[in-house]
Amino acid sequence: MKDVEATLSRGQEVSLVLLRTLVGWHFLYEGYFKLLRPAWSRDGAPLAAWTSAGYLHAANGPFAALFHRLADAAWIGRVDTLVAAALILVGLSLTLGLFTQAGGAGALALLALFYLSQIPTAGVPQPQTEGAYLFVNKNLIEAGAVLVLLLFRTGRIAGLDRLRHETRARVTSAQEAAS
Amino acid sequence: MNLTPEQQELGRRNFLRALAGTPALAALAVGAATKGPVKGGPVRVGFIGIGGQGRVLLEQTDPAFADVQALCDINPLSLAKADDVLKKRGLHPARHYTEWKDMLAKENLEAVIMAPPLWMHADLASGCLEAGKHVLCEKMMAWDYPGCERMRDTARKTGKLLEIGYQRNYNPLYQAAHEGIVKAGQLGDVYHARIVWHRNGTWRRKGEPPSPDYDPSPWGYPDYDHLINWRLYWRYSRGLHAELASHQVNIVNWFFGAEPETVISSGGVYRFPEGGREVPDHVYSIFEYPHGRTAVFTSIESNAYDHYYEAFYGTKATLILRGETEAYLFEEGGNARPTTVDVTPKGSGPALDASESRSAEAAGSVSGGAGEKVDRTAAYRLEVSGFCSAIRTGKPLACGPDRAIGSAKACIRAAEAVEKKETRLTV
Repeated sequence: MKDVEATLSRGQEVSLVLLRTLVGWHFLYEGYFKLLRPAWSRDGAPLAAWTSAGYLHAANGPFAALFHRLADAAWIGRVDTLVAAALILVGLSLTLGLFTQAGGAGALALLALFYLSQIPTAGVPQPQTEGAYLFVNKNLIEAGAVLVLLLFRTGRIAGLDRLRHETRARVTSAQEAAS
Repeated sequence: MNLTPEQQELGRRNFLRALAGTPALAALAVGAATKGPVKGGPVRVGFIGIGGQGRVLLEQTDPAFADVQALCDINPLSLAKADDVLKKRGLHPARHYTEWKDMLAKENLEAVIMAPPLWMHADLASGCLEAGKHVLCEKMMAWDYPGCERMRDTARKTGKLLEIGYQRNYNPLYQAAHEGIVKAGQLGDVYHARIVWHRNGTWRRKGEPPSPDYDPSPWGYPDYDHLINWRLYWRYSRGLHAELASHQVNIVNWFFGAEPETVISSGGVYRFPEGGREVPDHVYSIFEYPHGRTAVFTSIESNAYDHYYEAFYGTKATLILRGETEAYLFEEGGNARPTTVDVTPKGSGPALDASESRSAEAAGSVSGGAGEKVDRTAAYRLEVSGFCSAIRTGKPLACGPDRAIGSAKACIRAAEAVEKKETRLTV
């Protein structure tokens, strides 16, 4: 993937950047909404403060005990803030294409945590889910998408990383010309 | 209003059938629901006047909507009973105050819910609004019309919300009746409404003071009887017109889309003159609206056979709303097809859906999604929650001062007509 611009068609580039923006927005809004709460919907319904405790309590799979202990920890409030902040940072990174590789790695780490805490093994619809999943759920699919984005280094195609890269290249060539 | 079981069944079915063609009320809120959320937790509230009615509101305060932080009452017994309510509901204790100004000064409140004796409404509500608090004030709006105007003008001036506690405005049954039947023209032209609140017994309450040396005189009550029986004395009260009729006149105003121009009243203390009672135990009033429309109110304390209801007699049909829980429709000439109705939680409150397609379930009861019967206290819960939603999200109030003042003005004049023995007064 050394010379991405030279090997991808325009349509492929646009698709990859679009995918990155959509994934970034998803992370960004999820984080923003978690930090916003407690809040109210515009039609007047209160939305309680967000906590990951319920999600962690419902954890299954090989790491269930670990997640359950985390849910009961006294510092779960700090974990909640950390998760929301991480979602926002990852979301900003992917939406803006800034430090995209780091943002992608963060996204993969978060999605891995989410997936491992609730691996879909039932194969039938579960409470508070809208579909039936067996092993593969939306977290895993989104992780796959992030993996593609990481490997294609989409920050170099479009985004602030590209601007940073070009600015640095111009400065370097100017310095070389001056010397 | 007494109907045979067969008549009740027919009336219920007619009401539900008439609603079947109207969209669910929840649909009206769809536009608002598509906008993003607003930051904020439950509204920080304090209560002023935590007697019987104050505790009804406290019992129906949903902690997801309001965080009760302080209670204020001049009667320590009322504060103790309010503590029991909070404890029974598993809510955290609230700090106590005797003086409302102390409470406002020391607490970081956003809103005040108040149910003090009527004569204090204008001073307390205006004072709280001036202090920057939103106010939900129990009905009637104020003891006199200048007091009502002061409350309305203070709310306008401060930009704070003022809601008057007419819980019927939040009752899905009334909302459905207005939207699906009255507004839809299913009654035809309505020239006459009958509003009735009949009970059999004295209004006087009995109770021992909190301590032998308890003295309520600093707050304007010469003795404990005047405090707990303030409804019986003109200085504090407007009698049955304020406590009962104003609810029903408020509904007639809503359904007629108008306010009375004149009132004719009669009444007196006929059955319970003992103890120095001043306000009548029997009152009869005729409220005259524009375009030849009339509402006749009767309230007696010697017979409960009719209990209480609002009835609208139109050229096409009669609508009866009884006891805040039942609705009947009788078409002129008669017509009945079975239907059913559900009140199910949608968005921030229950909505009423009607369907003709579920005739097998049309047993006539208005049932909730979880099988619960619609009870009149649910409207109080919706009222307090709606007030909090309005504070946080700007959702319109169901009964702000502009709607409430018309009923207050008419009922104040009706009570004056009785008190001063003047038959007809201009509203």
